[in-house]
Amino acid sequence: MKRREQMMKDLEQDIRDHIDTETQDNIARGMSPEDAHYAAIRKFGNVTRVKEDTHEVWSFVWLEQLMQDLRYAVRTLTHSPGFAAIAIITLALGIGANTAIFSFIDGILLRSLPVQEPQQLVVFTWSAHARPKLKGHSGYGDCQNLVGDCAFSIPFFKNVRAHTDTFSGMAAFAGPLDYDLSGNGPARMAQGQFVSGDFFSTLGVNTIVGRPLGMSDDSPSAPPAIVLSYACWQRAFGGDRTVVGRMVRLNSISTVIVGVAEPSFTNLTPGNPVDFFMPFSVADRIRSEYWGHGDRISDPGVWWSVIIGRLKPGVSLAQAQAAATTMFVNETTHGATPLLNEADAPAIKLLPAAQGLDGETSQVAPMFYLLMFAVGLILLIACANVAGLMLARSATRQREMAVRLALGAGRARIVRQLLTESVLLSFVGGTLGIFLSLWGINAITALFSSGYDAFPFVIALDWRVLLFTAGVTFAVGILFGLAPALRGARIDLTPGLKETASSLPDSGAHSGRWFRLGNALVVAQVALSMVVLIGAGLLVRTLRNLHNLNPGFDTRSILLFGVNPSAAGYSDQKTAQLYSDLQQRLAALPGVISASYSADALLSGNHSSENVHLDGAPPKSNVSVEWLAVGLDFFSTMRIPMLAGRTFTPADFASAAATNAAVTAAADAPAKVTRSYGPTSVNPSEAPAAPLPVIINEAFAREFFPNQDPVGKHVGNFQEDEPATGLQPGYLIIGITGNTKYNSLRVEIEPTMYLPQVGNSAHFELRTAVDPTALIPVVREVVSRVDNNLPLFNVRTQTEQIEQMLFLDRLMSQISSAFALLALVLACIGLYGLLSYEVTRRTREIGIRMALGAKTGDVLRAVIAQGIALAVVGVTIGVAIALGVTRFLGSLLYNVKAGDPLTFVGVALLLVAVAALACYIPALRAARVDPMVALRYE
Amino acid sequence: MSTKEQRERIELLQGTLDLLILRTLLRGPVHGHAIAKAIEFNSDEVLQVEQGSLYPALHRLIKRGCISSEDGTSENNRRAKFYKLTAAGRRRLTIETSKWDKLAGAIARILRPAEQEGKS
Repeated sequence: MKRREQMMKDLEQDIRDHIDTETQDNIARGMSPEDAHYAAIRKFGNVTRVKEDTHEVWSFVWLEQLMQDLRYAVRTLTHSPGFAAIAIITLALGIGANTAIFSFIDGILLRSLPVQEPQQLVVFTWSAHARPKLKGHSGYGDCQNLVGDCAFSIPFFKNVRAHTDTFSGMAAFAGPLDYDLSGNGPARMAQGQFVSGDFFSTLGVNTIVGRPLGMSDDSPSAPPAIVLSYACWQRAFGGDRTVVGRMVRLNSISTVIVGVAEPSFTNLTPGNPVDFFMPFSVADRIRSEYWGHGDRISDPGVWWSVIIGRLKPGVSLAQAQAAATTMFVNETTHGATPLLNEADAPAIKLLPAAQGLDGETSQVAPMFYLLMFAVGLILLIACANVAGLMLARSATRQREMAVRLALGAGRARIVRQLLTESVLLSFVGGTLGIFLSLWGINAITALFSSGYDAFPFVIALDWRVLLFTAGVTFAVGILFGLAPALRGARIDLTPGLKETASSLPDSGAHSGRWFRLGNALVVAQVALSMVVLIGAGLLVRTLRNLHNLNPGFDTRSILLFGVNPSAAGYSDQKTAQLYSDLQQRLAALPGVISASYSADALLSGNHSSENVHLDGAPPKSNVSVEWLAVGLDFFSTMRIPMLAGRTFTPADFASAAATNAAVTAAADAPAKVTRSYGPTSVNPSEAPAAPLPVIINEAFAREFFPNQDPVGKHVGNFQEDEPATGLQPGYLIIGITGNTKYNSLRVEIEPTMYLPQVGNSAHFELRTAVDPTALIPVVREVVSRVDNNLPLFNVRTQTEQIEQMLFLDRLMSQISSAFALLALVLACIGLYGLLSYEVTRRTREIGIRMALGAKTGDVLRAVIAQGIALAVVGVTIGVAIALGVTRFLGSLLYNVKAGDPLTFVGVALLLVAVAALACYIPALRAARVDPMVALRYE
Repeated sequence: MSTKEQRERIELLQGTLDLLILRTLLRGPVHGHAIAKAIEFNSDEVLQVEQGSLYPALHRLIKRGCISSEDGTSENNRRAKFYKLTAAGRRRLTIETSKWDKLAGAIARILRPAEQEGKS
């Protein structure tokens, strides 16, 4: 350093000496002192350059130059704050939005399982040509999108576990199922998942307090033990560390809490929130209401658990699959009761667990792909915007470039300085983008969480996406920031210095080309934002359509809540009594017009279906119909019109109860029943059980009883391949109601059969004269007066229920509208920027025109016309692209065609109108040009 | 001696200028201006050194340790910086000269093959 300073100081002196000596020589040659001096200076060359070059020899000059460039860049940018602000914000929005959405999607769709070494885990799935003759089959939404099924019996799981050497560990789980959890404040419903004893150890999941479940817990003699999930622990137990060892009651069975799972483990299957884990061995003591008397643990004909295996290192998937298939074939074809024939080709397919367990994601996947596409478009628009801004700016700096070159700046140096400027811009934009993406992730998570009780996913910033989007936007920023350099470095200096900036374009073909590029960028932006706007428009209309459709019953002022008496220990008979008691008390409340109940609330996302056999149809051919058990006054409470026949009476309920009891009794004592063959389903030697009285809906009548009066007709129980055992009372149609939506708003109304509800959990519906939520405390009081240990769950109004169903649709509509707005703003900024530049460029021309007699109106019109022309071209291209692309919205739309002309035209008009507005300000500026000023404008 | 016009100035490569400077300093220490003059003179005015480029070249050679500098007085009693060849510089000069000879000879052979044949 010291040496360099010294050398540089001396250099000054040396140069002066050199020139002096040369001057002396020139004088000696006969020149005049003045001429001698000038000659010497000319001979020497560019002193500044020499100093710079020498300086370069000595230093890390690149660092100094970088600092210089940076300072200069900062100064230049602060001098055009508008440009800098817009460029930075555009970059930030492009990077931030993209990264946020991709991280979110990544967290949900592409998440890796929250266990150790997830890539070693495989899930078992089976397939066969025929349906196995199972006693019971349950699915809990773990593998929705698969060809094949992932439910297996416990004996099969134990068999595979005992006899396999291809897996280093195995685990099984089933659920979650609803259970009544009490002993910790008021009784509440909780979601419990059955797991095998080696579940925690195979997956490598730990507990943060207490211990995980182990093999010793999974035995019939072990005391019931559960492990809480982290979320449940926080929510219901307040994160209290003393829960370990505490006793609670599950469906009235005493259970001990032995531990709390780590926070990152919510569930293996995405989207199914689990409150606690319990071993399979307690399944015979803590029973779900739907199991009846079946044995879920040792019956090979009940398939309900998911099997996971951890592959031994070195064992291939194919090997393990072959071994598993052999065992499966053995078990299903050669077991005590064969479930399949060998000809049915039963086979096991092993899938990587992350892929096979898709759970909730299958529902949201199409939406996310849509969001990804939209946000990709926004990134493109943002890049085009930045490019356009840079180009426009470059054109206004030609003079500056010319001057700098004339003063002796090296071309490389100028290029480097401009590069620094655009890198600085990109860097600031990118940093802002990171913050924006973090905020965006939180915001989106919050939006989605409001639709779930406990948001089942953990979202984190995806750095790969950040780097990618940052890289793309940086590249664009830098590329287009170099434009002035690459262009300016080539200009012929003299015309550049002599002419004014406004007349330069006439002198070069270059500017024509650049201007056309600028036009193209704006047109591209408008086209792309058109696509986003149309997509959003279609989704908004879908939401409106869903909101406005008539579901077939009156949805206003209904209060809903659920009860689960069997979880609190009620028998079927006591349940029936409870319901009628509750119904009477609730209907008597002031403010309640009428009350009823049903097995599932309408439009709650739960539904049941059943196979029935129509009288007169070929034997063993069944139809599947929707099925809902309801209470007294259901149709009048829900205001569903009765079209024919009559509604249920208390006698119907008694008859149904009797029939059910008879059927159950017959099924439990098979020796007493002689087999019956053929379609007549009542065994004459037994006391006949009356057919269940049912009410059908219009769709049922129209489809299965066209041109007949269905009232009074009989429908049979479903017929299997084997002759029917037990009583087959069938159903007697007593009335027809209007169609109502049951399972979902979007699906067409299907044939539905309503029967009198006997037993099981129910949802009560109260038609209220006042705001339903005002009655909640009173209702709770009534229920607790009847039975204090009966938990109420899912208290909400019907309107809220429907809103809940529409949650994802609403979210899509909101997010796509936000994107559409963003795209629109960006496109307008692009248009505005281009036109502003145009006006600036042609100020002199405008001045001349006005001096020659053009009026302000003419100028205004000319500029706006130019802008609208660009917008119209963009809109047309956008419409063409959109027509090709909106078909992929497919399943998300309701009652709106992908090519809906109303939406297209409406959006096009909107875009052109907004574009016209964006042109207005530059047009105003052009119109206000004072000809005298313009003519002198440099 | 006639002074050549600007148009015929042959541009020197950076490395070549270094070589010429080293050679010029072989006979003894010289100051900056004199080096420029010497190169011009010894090349019969063919090589017109842009005198400005002399100084960065000199500093480069100093940084590499091929030459050293010290203050002194020039012929006309002016203060000037004198540059001197170091041992390393001497070695470098030998290497660079032989490299240059090889290069020049190779190019000459390509350009004048007929003459070569004619001679032999």
